[in-house]
Amino acid sequence: TQSKSTQFDLKTYWTTLIAEIDQKLDEAIPVKYPEQIYHAMRYSVLAKGAKRSPPVMCVASCELFGADRLAAFPTACALEMVHAASLIHDDLPCMDDDPSRRGQPSNHTIYGVDMAILAGDALFPLGFRHIVSNTPSNLVPEPRVLRVITEIARAVGSTGMAAGQFLDLEGGPNFVEFAQEKKFGEMGECSAVCGALLAGAEEDEIERLRRYGRAVGVLYQLVDDILEEKSKSKNGGVVEKKKGKSYVEVFGVEKAMEVAEELRAKAKLELDGFEKYGESTLPLYSFVDYAADRGFKIGDSSS
Amino acid sequence: VKEGDEEKSIFNFKSYMVQKANSVNQALDSAVLLRDPIMIHESMRYSLLAGGKRVRPMLCLSACELVGGKESVAMPAACAVEMIHTMSLIHDDLPCMDNDDLRRGKPTNHKVFGEDVAVLAGDALLAFAFEHMAVSTVGVPAAKIVRAIGELAKSIGSEGLVAGQVVDIDSEGLANVGLEQLEFIHLHKTGALLEASVVLGAILGGGTDEEVEKLRSFARCIGLLFQVVDDILDVTKSSQELGKTAGKDLVADKVTYPRLMGIDKSREFAEQLNTEAKQHLSGFDPIKAAPLIALANYIAYRQN
Repeated sequence: TQSKSTQFDLKTYWTTLIAEIDQKLDEAIPVKYPEQIYHAMRYSVLAKGAKRSPPVMCVASCELFGADRLAAFPTACALEMVHAASLIHDDLPCMDDDPSRRGQPSNHTIYGVDMAILAGDALFPLGFRHIVSNTPSNLVPEPRVLRVITEIARAVGSTGMAAGQFLDLEGGPNFVEFAQEKKFGEMGECSAVCGALLAGAEEDEIERLRRYGRAVGVLYQLVDDILEEKSKSKNGGVVEKKKGKSYVEVFGVEKAMEVAEELRAKAKLELDGFEKYGESTLPLYSFVDYAADRGFKIGDSSS
Repeated sequence: VKEGDEEKSIFNFKSYMVQKANSVNQALDSAVLLRDPIMIHESMRYSLLAGGKRVRPMLCLSACELVGGKESVAMPAACAVEMIHTMSLIHDDLPCMDNDDLRRGKPTNHKVFGEDVAVLAGDALLAFAFEHMAVSTVGVPAAKIVRAIGELAKSIGSEGLVAGQVVDIDSEGLANVGLEQLEFIHLHKTGALLEASVVLGAILGGGTDEEVEKLRSFARCIGLLFQVVDDILDVTKSSQELGKTAGKDLVADKVTYPRLMGIDKSREFAEQLNTEAKQHLSGFDPIKAAPLIALANYIAYRQN
């Protein structure tokens, strides 16, 4: 299946979508009174060099079923909004206490802890509102919209990303696997599933994309951690320390690379079930290889 | 005879409130279960089930029934507005915000579970409010549920609740805050969610657009009324009577109605808002509108 993805120019597909998503996000958060909250929201959502992986996966999953990408754009933007909200709150002093994000100062270091909390609190509902107000009703019937909202709420909620952040902070048995699954698998899963829901996919197809998205989400982060660990040992220097430990730090690079290959195989196995959709599967296949190999640079290298 | 009727209706309202609060509490209790990770869910339940007055859920259910809907169709929305209200209180009480130790007579969420869990529990309640409405609302066309979710989302974000909180934070310690700004704070910080509570009930109960808008106007009046009364109580009642720290507005140097116009004028203003609120209900069947009228009176004359 490696050859399947090399026929496809993922970089162009992705870069084109980033431009469209960025523009729509820019329009979705106009600055009004009281201005500082809008600046705080825009600062994180419109951060330069963002890869927009969740929106791109959402669009690709929607297009897999031959649906119009216009059906997916509002949800794609909402994914970035709720994702940004989660990250703003994760960085807070009482949480990971992270002074930077994507190579920029984190939200609270610029706007203050109170505004950072409120910016997150405002971005979650803005995501839902954006879906409700902008999803074209001629392309997506309301029951599907309700399922998309449910999916996103679950992904960021008490059994999803919030649970992942909690496990990351509190530790406990096997917390590394659980925290990584929850924090990173959840967003990939949700993005792939939302695209399928918007396109009106069958239940078994949705479940297939659920497993695919989760595997790719975890794979992506795992490879990030492997690359960081490798550059750390190469430079022999100390990299900024985070509160939570990564899988690589706990189990070592070799084991992590084994797991990464397993995830790659798992994700592709799920896609093999979509053979009847032919070339529409190519973006999703090439995503898997990108997550594993990082064959090209997208967005800002520091992100 | 008229006085007797009024006494009877007041009595009925008390039992109406008890019955509604009970069914809301039951619905909330079974909506947020103790799941893994236990501590987040404990934290969510700690604040959600701390025995608030349930004014927002009641407004939602009463508005639904006023336009002819069954209580059950608005119950998930009623729970959702209480989840959002609770979430905003948890975040509001954090040390980086109002730094409150006491809420509803109990230690605040972060005092019990820590700041990190309090932030996450708030986020989780916010998300779950939407999930609960989307999943558990039955017997209503999907289009109406989607519309109601849009209304809720608008009311709590940067054009609603959050906007009020931001301007409130900005106004602290400022000497020249005017009535207009004070009204902006309250219309958004308290008013927006009260308005959404009523509007959600009206939409899900099957109200016409005209009915929804009348009820929206009613809700705007009582939203402001709620805050004027809150400000008055903050000056005139003790912490014990309120179940939260009294006189906080004065200590925090916050602008309030009593401070801007004095206690007497504030009370007059409250009366005026209550009257105006009821005028918006004049087009409805007075028997069916009785619960909302009584709720407005309750908000106007409550002691805590």
